[in-house]
Amino acid sequence: MIRLDNINLTFPGFAIKNIDLTIREKDFFALIGPTGSGKSVILEIIMGLIPFSSGRLLFNGKDMGQTPVEKRHLALVYQDFALFPHLSVAHNILYGIRYHGIKKNEGHKRLDDLANTLGLKRILDRKPHNLSGGEKQRVALARALILNPAVLLLDEPLSALDPEFHGEAKNLLKQIHQDMGMTIVMVSHNFGDVMYLANRGAVIHQGRIRQTGDITTLFEKPDSLFTARFVGMKNIMPARVLQGNVRIEGSDAVIETSMVPDIDQGYMGIRPEEIILLSQKADTAENCANRFCGTITRVASQGMFVEVHVQSGSLNFEAAWPRRYLRDFQIASGRDATIAFSPQSVHIFQD
Amino acid sequence: MVFSLPVILLLTVPLLKMTTGPSPAMLWETLGDKDVLLAIARSLGLSLTAGILAFVLGTPLSYLLARKAFPGKKIIEGIVDLPVMIPHPVVGIAILSLAGRTHPFGRFLSGMGIEIMGTRTGIVTVLVFVGIPFYVNAVKAGFESVPVRLEYASRTLGAGTFETFRRVTLPLTWRHMVLGIIMCTARAISEFGAVVIVAYHPMTAPVMIYERFTAYGLKYSQPVAVWLILLSLGLFILLRMMSRSAVQYHR
Repeated sequence: MIRLDNINLTFPGFAIKNIDLTIREKDFFALIGPTGSGKSVILEIIMGLIPFSSGRLLFNGKDMGQTPVEKRHLALVYQDFALFPHLSVAHNILYGIRYHGIKKNEGHKRLDDLANTLGLKRILDRKPHNLSGGEKQRVALARALILNPAVLLLDEPLSALDPEFHGEAKNLLKQIHQDMGMTIVMVSHNFGDVMYLANRGAVIHQGRIRQTGDITTLFEKPDSLFTARFVGMKNIMPARVLQGNVRIEGSDAVIETSMVPDIDQGYMGIRPEEIILLSQKADTAENCANRFCGTITRVASQGMFVEVHVQSGSLNFEAAWPRRYLRDFQIASGRDATIAFSPQSVHIFQD
Repeated sequence: MVFSLPVILLLTVPLLKMTTGPSPAMLWETLGDKDVLLAIARSLGLSLTAGILAFVLGTPLSYLLARKAFPGKKIIEGIVDLPVMIPHPVVGIAILSLAGRTHPFGRFLSGMGIEIMGTRTGIVTVLVFVGIPFYVNAVKAGFESVPVRLEYASRTLGAGTFETFRRVTLPLTWRHMVLGIIMCTARAISEFGAVVIVAYHPMTAPVMIYERFTAYGLKYSQPVAVWLILLSLGLFILLRMMSRSAVQYHR
């Protein structure tokens, strides 16, 4: 549906380089990356707000690079919602209908439908400065959706919201995607939100795409150190791969992995939630793969779970366990523990 | 509070002394003088014309300076501020040297039927010259206060650049434009140095005050000055009220 073909753009002090992306119809596509990585710039390039210096932007096979913003039939919802402060909610939502050949009656019918769906009925006469963050977001979405755009572009749609509206807004976006069957491109720096909402995505770092594909693949099989860190991989250690086993640099430990990497030197990583507690003792009796005995060096509460660090020889493992472990297994600093992880949990990637 | 007093006294005492100088009868009598009324009306009318011209000519420049980055922008900003810094007789001399009959440009204008020296056109030209920085800076600040994202949002919803300006930028900045026109007009009303060189006649109020002062003395020039001060005061009170409502609007 949308194809970015080797797009390049240079700003003073920053560049977007060799962006190749394909967004398919009905995708919920996420552009993921840290602040300043260039993901919002890519969104504005798709919208036509920023001209690129080389490459091609295709929409259903047609070159759209020279098409003015207002003729692209895409809609962009900004992080700060960009509602017109001098117009009421209803006039904000109806703003674009005259440019899309939507008659007044039809526009008001759509406004009614959207106000019902998005719960905006009682605030239609209010001005934007009298709205909560969640209400502003729903108005911005309604203003875009009333035009029935071919693609909905969302710039960090959840980051400006208070925690109380965050979950509600996430569900709303999911509902819009599922019920309306709309193609959505979302920029986000929060991989948790992306996991919940998107089916495909691209990880952007310093103006380049580091990895693209299904969200599950990005999460489970990061192919670079940056992506691994970004998707929450921990226990990252420099490693060598020898005959299916991983040897950690500076250690005698040998770790089994089910991955067949095409590199022999790089990094190993294990998600903290994949590390299990085998025993509250330094138990050497049980025989299983990737088992390490050690001492708990740190226990830190992270809300719903606890972050536990276990020192085993020269290796330090970080595990994430349910809070009840503190009570049920007397997890505490200085105590012994035996941990393990399956060969499927051991990921290998390059720098 | 006590430390603010010297400034307030410096501004009010001389003006108060002057405004209370002429008797009410003299003030009333001055209003009956046709030449005075004509000079004040001329000052007002020509200054307002300069304000409106500043709106027409200065709005595109203000938008450019607020929205775009380009090489030499600082130089353009400096040039816009120049009339505030240079002595105003110099402005008059500069316009005189360009638009006088000795210069080809002056002869060209004359050939087109446009006379600068000793005409209302000349007066308006110098008034725009000295007043335009006030308009451009006020309106530039207005444009800068409108987030560019609002204009982008409008375009993503299908509006072209002109429609975006009409439906988003203008409703959010018209107060700054009115403010700019008032500031430019107020500045123009007070202009003497440049006007006296370009056009002693037809006489504006400041030129008349000067003439009466030099020819007949303080007592004769004071009533005209009082009416001009009252007029300027009214304009500036209006200006302050406008600027306050503009600030509240953006909160």
